Amino acid sequence: MTFLEAVRQKFFAFLIVLGAAMVLSSVAFRFLDFGHGELKFIADFGFGGMFLFGSILAVVMTAQLFFAEMDNRTALTLLAKPLSRAEFLIGKFFGVWMILGLFVIILSALLGLVLWGRAQELSLLAEQSGRVAPDFSFRGLGIFAVLQWLRLSVVAAIVLAIAAAARTFLFAVILGALTVVAGQLQWIAQDVLLKPTESMLYKSILWLTSRILPNLQQFNIGDALVLDSGTVAVTSIGWVVLSGLLYTTAYLLLGALVFRRREI
Amino acid sequence: MTSAISVRHLTKDFKMGLRGLKLRAVDSLSLEIPRGQVYGLLGPNGCGKSTTLKIVLGLVAGTSGEINILGFPSATAEARRRTGFLPEAPYFHKFLTGRELVRYCAQLSGVSAIKMESAVEAALELAAMTEAASRPIGTYSKGMLQRIGLAQAIVHDPELVILDEPTAGVDPVGAAAIGRMIRTMRDQGKTVVLCSHLLGQVEQVCDRVAIMDHGRLVLEGRVDDVLAQRDRHLMTIEALTPDARVAAESALAAHGARVRSVTHPRRSLEELFRELVTGSRDA
Repeated sequence: MTFLEAVRQKFFAFLIVLGAAMVLSSVAFRFLDFGHGELKFIADFGFGGMFLFGSILAVVMTAQLFFAEMDNRTALTLLAKPLSRAEFLIGKFFGVWMILGLFVIILSALLGLVLWGRAQELSLLAEQSGRVAPDFSFRGLGIFAVLQWLRLSVVAAIVLAIAAAARTFLFAVILGALTVVAGQLQWIAQDVLLKPTESMLYKSILWLTSRILPNLQQFNIGDALVLDSGTVAVTSIGWVVLSGLLYTTAYLLLGALVFRRREI
Repeated sequence: MTSAISVRHLTKDFKMGLRGLKLRAVDSLSLEIPRGQVYGLLGPNGCGKSTTLKIVLGLVAGTSGEINILGFPSATAEARRRTGFLPEAPYFHKFLTGRELVRYCAQLSGVSAIKMESAVEAALELAAMTEAASRPIGTYSKGMLQRIGLAQAIVHDPELVILDEPTAGVDPVGAAAIGRMIRTMRDQGKTVVLCSHLLGQVEQVCDRVAIMDHGRLVLEGRVDDVLAQRDRHLMTIEALTPDARVAAESALAAHGARVRSVTHPRRSLEELFRELVTGSRDA
């Protein structure tokens, strides 16, 4: 139901169009590659679009779908059924999870198409000039898409936990967006933790911050996966997946705990 | 046999602001709602009846007190499995058709796949929504929204049905149709709790009523008992001439009775309206 509701929204279509436009336009902007390979520029452009619009979708859509149920009072009808609060929240999450999956699949497919088209042209040019043709990995792109889906799922779970406690849609969106930014910068806290410090309080705060907030940068291994296929160990990918799943589960549990006491 | 709803010493305080001020919405309310009857819960806006219903349904936690539904604690899934609820001014996803909504609610209520279609069709039929069931909810009138809301509330054949303002915004013809549905549910052995401001309708369909004010119960009992004025009598007489009236008054006076008023019987505006527009169903 959540998926059907979300997929009908103009906001979803709008972000798909924006994301697709960004991926497709990367070919036109490839002269701005700053000396890197063209395929890397196109891939980075696509990754950026997927992250930016995917994060907006995860934050806004999750909060919007949750508060639509509260404000329209459809939650009254649903929660009067033999449905637990946790089931309601998890149902919301899976609806958003599916829409995020659809978003990632569409943009990844487009990115794959653009990369493949340009790679074909570049290999023809390389043949003529006797150079080595650049290449990319479809399998790596597939793995990257799964990781992005997982990253956006973590964001959706965090926003759902915030929304379960928040009174207004705006508060949930703003705090959710700030959490995404903090998650992107979380590696800094981890980095500082490695350096010696005398303040235990400082170290404790950093440790706590680096554990509570997921490190969203760990999902940014698109270059290595897509352009340098084989350079990322399977165990590393496994750890990233495990971390994503753990954070998603933990924030969903937290959300369910908070929502249990909410007055509808 | 246990009551359909048993409320004992229920109190609900809402915290207001950061100073810890409390607003008491329900004040030590005790109620026993018997099974198989239509029970009216009445009171002015803000008297605590909607809060009471929400606590009964487990949507809001009471501050103190105990509530059981059909012998089960009210916050349990077991209690909600036996209960159907139509909220005030119900809102449903507009892109669904009526049948899809009722089927979705049946799934949530645990209706088995084998019984699903028959349960959905029976609920639609009782709510007189079979014809419009294939239309998107976005095209429904207010009366149809209430009726499809009623269908989703009863699709899992609950023993207890709670209706919060089921006739709000519905014209008298539609309201009368909902009244008939309530009576049908009672005839099927269900307990119906009706929360309404339409006192005329409550009087017509309810067996018992409770009146709340400022979170407290101020009156409870059978409708006939609470409304009857045992020391007064009403006679409806045809062809009463002035002479006959004087003679009747004299005869009554001889037995110590006194005629307090003589008026013409009136139909209610609702009765007149329904009589005039009969046949224009709310569709």
